Amino acid sequence: MDLMDFIDLTQSLIDGVLFGTTYSLIGIGFTLIFGVMHKINLSYAAASIGAAYLSLILVSLVPAPIVYLGAALLGGLLGWMVYLICFRYLPLNNPLAALMSTVGMLLAIEELISHMTMGMPQNYPALFASTNIEIGQFFLRGDLIFVFVLGCAAMVGLTLLLKRTRLGLATRAVAQQPVAAQLCGMGVNATNANTFIIAGFLGGTAGAMAGAAIGVLSPLMTLPLTVKGLVVTVIGGLGSIPGAIVAGLIVGGAENLFQFLRGVSERDIYVMLMLFAFLVFRPGGLFAAPGGRD
Amino acid sequence: MDFYLGLAQVIGIHSLLGLSAWCVLHTGQVSLAQGGFFAIGAYTAGVLTSMWGWPLALALAMGALLAAAVAVAVGFPALRVKGLMLVVATTAFAEIVRLVFFNFTWRVQTPAGPVGPDGSLGFGGIRYFPANGWTTLEVCLLIWALVSAVLLVLWWLDRSRVGTLWRAVGEDELAAQSAGINLTAAKVSAFGIGGAIAVLAGGVFAHYATHIEHNNFSILLATFAIAYPIIGGLSSLAGTILEVIFIQGFLLEGLRFIGDWRSLMFGVLIVVVMLVRPAGFLNRSLGLGLGLRRGASADKTGSIAKGGTHA
Amino acid sequence: MLELRNLSRHFGGVKAVDQLDLTVRRGEILGLIGPNGSGKSTTVNLITGVYLPTAGDVVFQGQDISKLAPHQRCELGLARTFQNIRLFGHLTVWQNLWAARMVRERGWAGFKERWLSGANAAREQAEELLVFGDLAHKRDMLAGNLAFGEQRRLELIRAAASGAELLLLDEPAAGMNAEEIEDLDNRIRSLRDQGRTILLIEHHMELVMEVCDRVAVLNFGRKIAEGTPAQVQQDAQVRAAYLGTDETAAT
Repeated sequence: MDLMDFIDLTQSLIDGVLFGTTYSLIGIGFTLIFGVMHKINLSYAAASIGAAYLSLILVSLVPAPIVYLGAALLGGLLGWMVYLICFRYLPLNNPLAALMSTVGMLLAIEELISHMTMGMPQNYPALFASTNIEIGQFFLRGDLIFVFVLGCAAMVGLTLLLKRTRLGLATRAVAQQPVAAQLCGMGVNATNANTFIIAGFLGGTAGAMAGAAIGVLSPLMTLPLTVKGLVVTVIGGLGSIPGAIVAGLIVGGAENLFQFLRGVSERDIYVMLMLFAFLVFRPGGLFAAPGGRD
Repeated sequence: MDFYLGLAQVIGIHSLLGLSAWCVLHTGQVSLAQGGFFAIGAYTAGVLTSMWGWPLALALAMGALLAAAVAVAVGFPALRVKGLMLVVATTAFAEIVRLVFFNFTWRVQTPAGPVGPDGSLGFGGIRYFPANGWTTLEVCLLIWALVSAVLLVLWWLDRSRVGTLWRAVGEDELAAQSAGINLTAAKVSAFGIGGAIAVLAGGVFAHYATHIEHNNFSILLATFAIAYPIIGGLSSLAGTILEVIFIQGFLLEGLRFIGDWRSLMFGVLIVVVMLVRPAGFLNRSLGLGLGLRRGASADKTGSIAKGGTHA
Repeated sequence: MLELRNLSRHFGGVKAVDQLDLTVRRGEILGLIGPNGSGKSTTVNLITGVYLPTAGDVVFQGQDISKLAPHQRCELGLARTFQNIRLFGHLTVWQNLWAARMVRERGWAGFKERWLSGANAAREQAEELLVFGDLAHKRDMLAGNLAFGEQRRLELIRAAASGAELLLLDEPAAGMNAEEIEDLDNRIRSLRDQGRTILLIEHHMELVMEVCDRVAVLNFGRKIAEGTPAQVQQDAQVRAAYLGTDETAAT
């Protein structure tokens, strides 16, 4: 590979890693919910895109950053609704039911989006789209950098929330020992709802970022985002937020790498194979949650 | 009349999918891989009959063998993980299969022109049925003959020691292991049998539809596949079939007047059903059972809920 | 029959089991006791293969089984009960037994027995155990619906059903009243008299001292005493472990 190709390759990688923060956020959302409810919320990515769609209402009214904020807030709202509908009233010991419920939710959201928009992709505002930072031979796309920074900000915010606030402490306590937490006076339902809202907040941000980076929103984005998000969660290690962060960047970078090497239609095959490799060699993920005694 | 026959065919194919998922769910594994096997079946059977001129029965049998091989190859590494990781692993498997076929081009010349999978354009011209003079009724009967055969086999398996082993594994893996049950063998066998059934479904589907493409095999199909047994009630085989009939027949076709909103209704329906009867409709507690199972109701607990990092 | 040689299991910095040497002789009932957290359950998990050792060996009937999977160890003749009952709740009593019994029906010998010989020895043995456990009248009941004492009995006979020669009983008396404990005492003796060897992990001192031929004591993952119940009761280190030092403990 000559120098030009190498530069292009690295460029791809960088772009991918920058976009990877989107995957990181989705992965964190999955992990958060899994960590607390020990159940999978398959509708998470769909709700995130849905939140971004809803924030479109604001587009002509407010500047772009507020639109993103709107997406985040709406994501939180959607998260709360998903909790109420799919998790709150379902028996705890029947994870299959919750899983199916979220599948139903996923279908419903996706169809709703398709119907509302007649299946046409919608333009989504991007910031700094025309700005490019040059570092030597590399172009760093402004909009991707913004996405990256926003993602990092969200992750920092989340970490602070979890480690420094009472809500965060409650979330972690309930995740580890729901019964004991209740006995200590923490409302399990309220805490779970809060977790979903926080995850929804992250998801809405991720949806907005995905839209900003790609420039359009389309219902076709939900399934790939779901799958990639799940891949990130598993590679990073179930229940591990730092794992999801790192894994998101890895998946983002790998995706672009494979695309550069083998083209768009084959790229996901290799991403999936990479996942399999992780499952075989490191099933606990990058930062496996410490194994307990039975 | 043709309309109802067509409907019956679709219900039949989806029944096979549902039964395939039933097998795997019984050992406590949530697998979204049925779509992958479905695709393998479709493409294999299609290639064998339209490009190599094999008779249908042989093509289906070949597909089933292939499924077993793939299931074992994929199953041994993949089935060591549980819960969410398994969901993701099986999803990844199905996606890999779908994408491989999306990129797969192999055409041969036949007297009727080039035939074969053509990458993203899909695989058309699987004209075994029309070329051999099958009527819609005959195809329908074939499909339901397969469904009946599979039902019989599964019913027998369930009553036999295999069924007890599968359910023991589904109940509590640690206890099963400590009682001498080989977990991996049990899981892989369920995965393999489920895969073979899905392959049959795919093979028949390819001929019924005469044109297949990667969009037919998305994750959504796999979620339908597991929806049938879960909503129908894992404890009874009949529940799965009835559920397929209900969903495909009543909801998706009967509510045609709602037009494009059918999928949305399906989604909403799933959510509602899970709220009202989380264990599924024909669970034992409802007393219907239809005698197809003696014994346990089936809230699958425990092993599915846990993530993959426990000792 | 069973030998633990220099067995260790570490979890990060925690030495749950530390250089443990233990021998279980054929036909005996060996008790394993120790304060909470002393590593008793970890030891059982090491023996049955739920955990792999960090160091040391597990040797069963002369064969090194340290690397075998749990179901393989069961095939060789090792079975256990669980501290927190782990029955197959949605299977019937009979099916629970049967699932365990099936391990005896593997391979050619099993095939011959099932299909070729007239009698079905495996089935008969399972039926016997059902009677032994006083659960014959409840054979078609879902295991999850049994009363607590009955569940414990089912755990016991299920472990025996796999044809094991060595039974590991992990706190089988937890939650039982005196009458039930006495019943358990008799059952354990019967199981041994039928030709099995038993390793009993327990907290109920009366039961241990009553039924065990020998007792080993763990503390902080190490063995601190071993001998007959009487000997162990007199051991100063054991008393220190249970009652603490600096006290003028009553003898």
